[in-house]
Amino acid sequence: MTESEPVERIAMDFTDAGDGRERAIALLLLSMADDEFVIGFSDSEWTGIGPILEEDVAISSLAQDELGHAQALYRLFAEVVADGRDADAVAYDRPAEGYLHARLLDHGRGDWAATIARRYLYETADAARLAALAETSFEPLRDLVAKIRREERYHLMHVEAWLDRLAEAGGEPRRRLMVALEAMGPDAGTVLALLPGEPALLRHGILAEPFAAVESTWRARVDGTFGRLGLAALPATRDPGTARTRHSHAFRALHHEFTMVRGSEAAATW
Amino acid sequence: MGEAAGAVEAEPVDEAAGVLEPWEVFRQEKDGDPMRHGGSVMAPDATLAVHYAREMYGRRQESVHLWVVRRADIHDLADPDLLQPPLDRSFKKPGGYVMREKLAAAREASGQQKPRANKGDR
Repeated sequence: MTESEPVERIAMDFTDAGDGRERAIALLLLSMADDEFVIGFSDSEWTGIGPILEEDVAISSLAQDELGHAQALYRLFAEVVADGRDADAVAYDRPAEGYLHARLLDHGRGDWAATIARRYLYETADAARLAALAETSFEPLRDLVAKIRREERYHLMHVEAWLDRLAEAGGEPRRRLMVALEAMGPDAGTVLALLPGEPALLRHGILAEPFAAVESTWRARVDGTFGRLGLAALPATRDPGTARTRHSHAFRALHHEFTMVRGSEAAATW
Repeated sequence: MGEAAGAVEAEPVDEAAGVLEPWEVFRQEKDGDPMRHGGSVMAPDATLAVHYAREMYGRRQESVHLWVVRRADIHDLADPDLLQPPLDRSFKKPGGYVMREKLAAAREASGQQKPRANKGDR
């Protein structure tokens, strides 16, 4: 359990008020928001350089959707924590090591096959997580999850269409997809790794079932798809204890980029 | 890392797959409206064509219904001999012959003036 301490420390950093329930909710919201924010920002790098004009518009729009979800989750987090920070401050004013996104998203956008591999692994895991939150007892989150799931349905359709095409095309597209999946596979399960607040989330009816059960549901889905496409099964999660900490150099570079404008004039009103 | 791709099947990329072609998008703005042509998208197949149509013609909630049709599947007719025949076929129109020119010619021949419309009491 010592491996989990950094997450707990970050969790404690943002609130010393409230009971275990509030802390656990805050940690859950921040991890989800950071996931959406990082993949949204990272995928937005395709704007202007998409493989064809139509796909350029599509991936940019998907990336904007993710940023929109992140914004809503950061707002909810800011309400729960109520420490005077607004959604923008939470999104942009933390050091790189203060972000709680899953290690899967530390893999950069890479080539188109890597982007599709990352999106597929993340979106399917996120869908399983959202399903486990659909009936959450925390009402503001339940409303938000219902809205997010309606948009994520299309995201899944989009990325599954691309995964099938890359896998079934053979040759270079399939080769690149396999290289990306091999690199990301051990980190795929980090999206659904245990959060320190899980017992409180389950006790208070925030989360329907343990993350381990959510992960099994998700793996069954991915195994089915990969089996159909003749792709190697996903390996077990590497270092689950640091699933959301100790981020990569690639993320530090990304963090430098997305904080650059806001950091250029700390006192500015945008 | 590159050797990880050793399991790649040797079969070449399907030449037919991935070829972009135009798809026409029709959209309904609100329930009860007719479908109107919105524009077109380029896509390699129907699934992606529908995705792209959704992005181009639906993501701002400007449509409630889309039809996406492969342009090659549209039966085209733009032959002026068939659509704009040179002879007077106005008798085929619901209003029958256009009489204005014939009336004018008859009046000219008989020296009559065009009757003025009655404006109020005379």
